[in-house]
Amino acid sequence: MIARSNRIALLAVPGLAFLAIIYALPLVMLLFKSIQGAEGLTLVTYIDFFRDEFNQTVLWRTLRVALLTTLLALVIAYPTAFAMARAKGIWLTVFMVALVLPMSLGVIVKAFAWSILFRSNGFLNTTLQAIGMTDGPVRMLFTETALIVGAANVFLPFMVLPIYSVLRQLNSSLPEAASSLGATPWFRFTRVTLPLSLPGVVAGSAFTFSLAISMYVIPSLIVGERQQTLSMLIARSFLYLRNEPLGSTISAVLLAIAIFVVLFSSWLAGRLGARQ
Amino acid sequence: MTHIMERGLTRRKLLRNSAMAAVGTFAAPSILRAQSSELVIGCAGSHTAWMEALVTPHMKASIGADIIFEGTKSSVNLEKMSSNKDAPYLSVVQMDDPVMIQAVEADLLVPITPDAVPNMTDLRPDATHMDGMWCNYVQPWAGVAYNTNMTNGVSSWAALWDPANAGRVVIPSLQNTEGMWTLMSAAMLGSGLPFVDAQYEIDAAFAKLEELKPNLLTVYSTMSQAFNLLEQGEISMLSGNFSSYTLPRKAEGVPVDLAAPAEGIFAMPSGICLVKGGPNPELAQAYVNEMLGPVMQAAIADFASSVPANTTVTAGAIIPDGVPIYSPDWSFVAANRAAWIDRFDKLMAI
Repeated sequence: MIARSNRIALLAVPGLAFLAIIYALPLVMLLFKSIQGAEGLTLVTYIDFFRDEFNQTVLWRTLRVALLTTLLALVIAYPTAFAMARAKGIWLTVFMVALVLPMSLGVIVKAFAWSILFRSNGFLNTTLQAIGMTDGPVRMLFTETALIVGAANVFLPFMVLPIYSVLRQLNSSLPEAASSLGATPWFRFTRVTLPLSLPGVVAGSAFTFSLAISMYVIPSLIVGERQQTLSMLIARSFLYLRNEPLGSTISAVLLAIAIFVVLFSSWLAGRLGARQ
Repeated sequence: MTHIMERGLTRRKLLRNSAMAAVGTFAAPSILRAQSSELVIGCAGSHTAWMEALVTPHMKASIGADIIFEGTKSSVNLEKMSSNKDAPYLSVVQMDDPVMIQAVEADLLVPITPDAVPNMTDLRPDATHMDGMWCNYVQPWAGVAYNTNMTNGVSSWAALWDPANAGRVVIPSLQNTEGMWTLMSAAMLGSGLPFVDAQYEIDAAFAKLEELKPNLLTVYSTMSQAFNLLEQGEISMLSGNFSSYTLPRKAEGVPVDLAAPAEGIFAMPSGICLVKGGPNPELAQAYVNEMLGPVMQAAIADFASSVPANTTVTAGAIIPDGVPIYSPDWSFVAANRAAWIDRFDKLMAI
């Protein structure tokens, strides 16, 4: 007889089988393609990729944009999650709807909306000039700043929700105990609430970073072809250069970064959890 | 669970029925498609809306076909054909000539023949390529689109380089076929040679393109987005745009127009081909025949302000007087395009 826990584990089989066929198998084929040379296995496409100055620029830009998007999303998300964790009744519903509803709007629609916002005669430029912060229109369209703002906007729910779920479960008597011992609000936050919410911050950051580093449609629409990211290079390699080994190599590099982020965040979350 | 078992549903039966349901689910689309009058046509993304409005009803009425258009870039259409070579789902593809050459080289097409497609005998001789591997069904002309509120016209391709237009110009990526027109214009301006020779002066073209960088707001691969910037007045000029896109928008009252610079304009190479091993081959041939016939030729040429390929049709675009119209050496383009895209992307990168 199979033990009950093992039988329950069988429930994961459909999901695992689905992932194995739809995700893992094509990925293995892709990785194999990246090391497949005319005369056997080779790492020459990896060496060529990392030697190319253009690829180095794209790699660094992709990492920088993903990191800054994650940081911006975190700065906006933490107070939002904090407020949500303390909200009750209708206010919690309002927060949830405000957070989730924009996800139903396609990225293409959002990109067109941002282009209206960022235009030289758009809302932002008009406002900056009206309040005297700038003398003339500032170029915002097709800049890295616009990309980071746009990406943070799209991925915000993926940062807010993990932090919210941790803060919501926080034992409210802990900050109260600190307060009764004379801790100031700042001390309570930095020494009690923030450390206890770090697993949510790590999970949210891992989600957001993974999504930001692999985004394709958002940079294609917001910054165009002059500021390519790794995902855009992958599409370019397969579709336009028709260079499958190069496309597979860049995919493997992107995958390696994503795996590192997931493993590192799991390790970090585990350590933070153990400490608490 | 007991009730279920009593009714004869055992674990084995459940697994068997689930497997059959899964097979049925996955197989259903191809089974249904094989038996239907459906044709899936790959076409340009910018053509999808008007193709659906003009072509779909006509094909239903004339040949009984239910048309599904999949609009995207020519290169993506090529990748779809290539990836599904063993089991194609596209029957006909409408894409640009340089990509057609790649499709022929990859053995993805079957020739269009006068027996199956009689209307091809009425085409201009230069509209049939590589012994009928594909035909041009329509030819829009390409120049420089401009916002009429911001400029009075574009007399020369050199206007794109004018410092007065700093940050107000957008050009297509070389990933898009219309990107070739800026490259070819740069070759003419950079080398000082006539087009017929200049098109091979690629180093001169790239040197000239580098001088264009201060004027560029961006380089697009999604044309609708770039055109939106032009309509809204964020940019004054959109290089390499074509009559089938700009002129219908002008007719709708949008403040845009298409200029024919004095150095010359370009013929957009819109081709149509039959996919090798594609579903419903006879219906696909009937579709191509209709597309090359006088009714569709007149309708498309009029709507898209383009030159019809069928010589019996007098409709469509009025080519600007006194301006030469060029068509590049597409085999030269096809052979070098990947290298040019790589060089272009590196040159334009910020």
